[in-house]
Amino acid sequence: MKRSFLDRSLWLREVLGLMDANFKIVARPNSSLTSRGRFYVVSILACVSLAVALAFGFIGAWLVLPFAGLELLAVAYAFYYINCHANDYESITIVGDDLAVEKRHYKDTSQVVFNRYWARVMLRDLPSGDQSLLLRSHGKEVEFGRHFMNNEERLALAQQLKERVGVVF
Amino acid sequence: MSNATAVHHDAHDAHPTGIMRWLTTTNHKDIGTMYLTFSLIMFLVGGSMILGVRAELFKPGLQLMRPEFFNQLIGVHALVMIFAALMPAATGFANWMLPLQIGAPDMALPRLNNWGFWLLPPAAILLTLPFTLALFGIGDGAVATGWTMYAPLSVQGGIGVDFAIFSVHLLGISSVLGSINVIVTILNMRAPGMTLMKMPMFAWGWLITAFLLIATIPVLAGAVTMLLTDRHFGTHFFDAAGGGDPILFQHLFWFFGHPEVYILLLPVWGFMPQILQTFSRKPMYGYKAQVYSLWAIGALSVVVWAHHFFTVGMPVPALLYFMYSTMSISLPLAVLFYCWIATIWKGSLSFETPMLFAVGWIILFGIGGLTGLVLADVAADAQYHHSYFVVAHFHYTLFAGGIMGIMAGVYYWLPKMTGHMYNEKLGKIHFWLTAISFNMTFIPQFFLGLAGMPRRIPDYALQFAEFNMISSIAAFALGLSQLLFVYNIIMCVRGGKKATDKVWEGAQGLEWTLPSPPPYHSFTEQPTIK
Repeated sequence: MKRSFLDRSLWLREVLGLMDANFKIVARPNSSLTSRGRFYVVSILACVSLAVALAFGFIGAWLVLPFAGLELLAVAYAFYYINCHANDYESITIVGDDLAVEKRHYKDTSQVVFNRYWARVMLRDLPSGDQSLLLRSHGKEVEFGRHFMNNEERLALAQQLKERVGVVF
Repeated sequence: MSNATAVHHDAHDAHPTGIMRWLTTTNHKDIGTMYLTFSLIMFLVGGSMILGVRAELFKPGLQLMRPEFFNQLIGVHALVMIFAALMPAATGFANWMLPLQIGAPDMALPRLNNWGFWLLPPAAILLTLPFTLALFGIGDGAVATGWTMYAPLSVQGGIGVDFAIFSVHLLGISSVLGSINVIVTILNMRAPGMTLMKMPMFAWGWLITAFLLIATIPVLAGAVTMLLTDRHFGTHFFDAAGGGDPILFQHLFWFFGHPEVYILLLPVWGFMPQILQTFSRKPMYGYKAQVYSLWAIGALSVVVWAHHFFTVGMPVPALLYFMYSTMSISLPLAVLFYCWIATIWKGSLSFETPMLFAVGWIILFGIGGLTGLVLADVAADAQYHHSYFVVAHFHYTLFAGGIMGIMAGVYYWLPKMTGHMYNEKLGKIHFWLTAISFNMTFIPQFFLGLAGMPRRIPDYALQFAEFNMISSIAAFALGLSQLLFVYNIIMCVRGGKKATDKVWEGAQGLEWTLPSPPPYHSFTEQPTIK
């Protein structure tokens, strides 16, 4: 099971009176191809497909070209879509009195900051039998881990968060 | 930072049930199941058509049908078997097994996956609808040009050709969508640690297949569109009287058509070594050699197309080039055969049904390959071209090499998919009936071809009567024995002995680490490959 852990290079710092208070988890999708790799794959496909289409175009079968073009647009869009979402993530950061939930979806980055001592961790049943993980305080509610975590991970994270919010160490 | 597993689509959290589950699903296993079910249905449809043909050919003379209808059955049989039975079966396995084998939660583009499948049923309906329309006096039946739809015959054909053109377009779009999904999934969603050279061979086979489809489908789409404009919009691409060239269609068609053979076979070459190693209880022999051979075959497959029409009248240098380049494919293929045999060599073999099919496949597909070498010879081809020798050859490659390979895959993975063991005894009976009746159907056709019987004719000279009778009887036995296959699958889906997670003692690969059947979401836990 995947577990949250502290990203010490960024966030670990000693805070007097707050033992084990700093905490960060980042959930993001696995991506085994780099941006450069994506570019190379699309380029290779484009070169081969266009070379074939142009060759047939030169001998009179020019109607192959628009189909090759349409197909390459679809290929390029698929890889563009993957590339756009390669850096998506969701994170929870607890530093001092603040609990920040940050989400990146394509170019949109949103952040909601709760007071750690007022924040509540909630689990809500989904029709599938799984639970969604919610953080709530002062009328604000944010869901976490819906896209990039499975149910067991969400439950484990909820347990870890419950130990860290709404209490003073 | 923690890399939590990506479940790419939140629609999975609450999946619908009933018919809506299947219409709207984006789950790779549901879509894989639909592909495989569709493939099985169309396999029976295509098979029934050819049994009509074999019934007509049972004895000389016209007994059961008009020649036009005979031609329609042959053409639609081929299109159905290639595009609606064999390709969807391979795509079904890709959907089911690729995410499991590479440790991904699903295919990379699940909605695209859904669209890719749901284009197939309309395409199949378009292809076969003209048969029904003809019953109501609309049109003159389905496409009667053979699956190659050669111009100028197809320019002059009835509405069946138009239906076939649109059907081919839909099938092509479906294939392209599937290919894009496979490429993105394999390249972008491998589990951490799974480098390209650690990928399962099935992933390699499908990756090359997808590349070939991307390279060749636009050519087919362009060709049939040109055909359509020649038929209805006054162009003369393939009309010699208008300055066009009918042979251009053959070049276009076979530029797609020859790689298509490898598109059908590469996925099978991918998973077959996995079956062989499982039942040999040995590691796969020559992994790298097999990967490089698959690439070599994929690359060569797009530069040899004109061997399909040596007799059309090409310059001698072109004939020589296409002859030698075609023959050169036998080199990487020989490497593959060597690796397959070396994998089982001195292994601790057991012959469950998948292994029976796998070993039978090596032998029978070998016959298909060797007879292909005969046809690759320009001088020999002058005699064999358009004869039953060709028919027998490509059935050894596509039925034995393709469909029997798919059957091996079905028996191999069915316990994993359903969670139940199939009936082993019935499976073995199915294999032996299939192997024997297949050979009895097509070995006589080699001799018929050598003796000069042309293909695509409903009537023939008396000298061919005996071998045609044997072939027809065996074809019916072959067709009926597939009912055992269908029965075994249905019974396995409905129940049976519980399959273990690993299913087979020698099974290797990530898919066997999951429960049988795997949970609705595969790998909610990201596996790591060492």
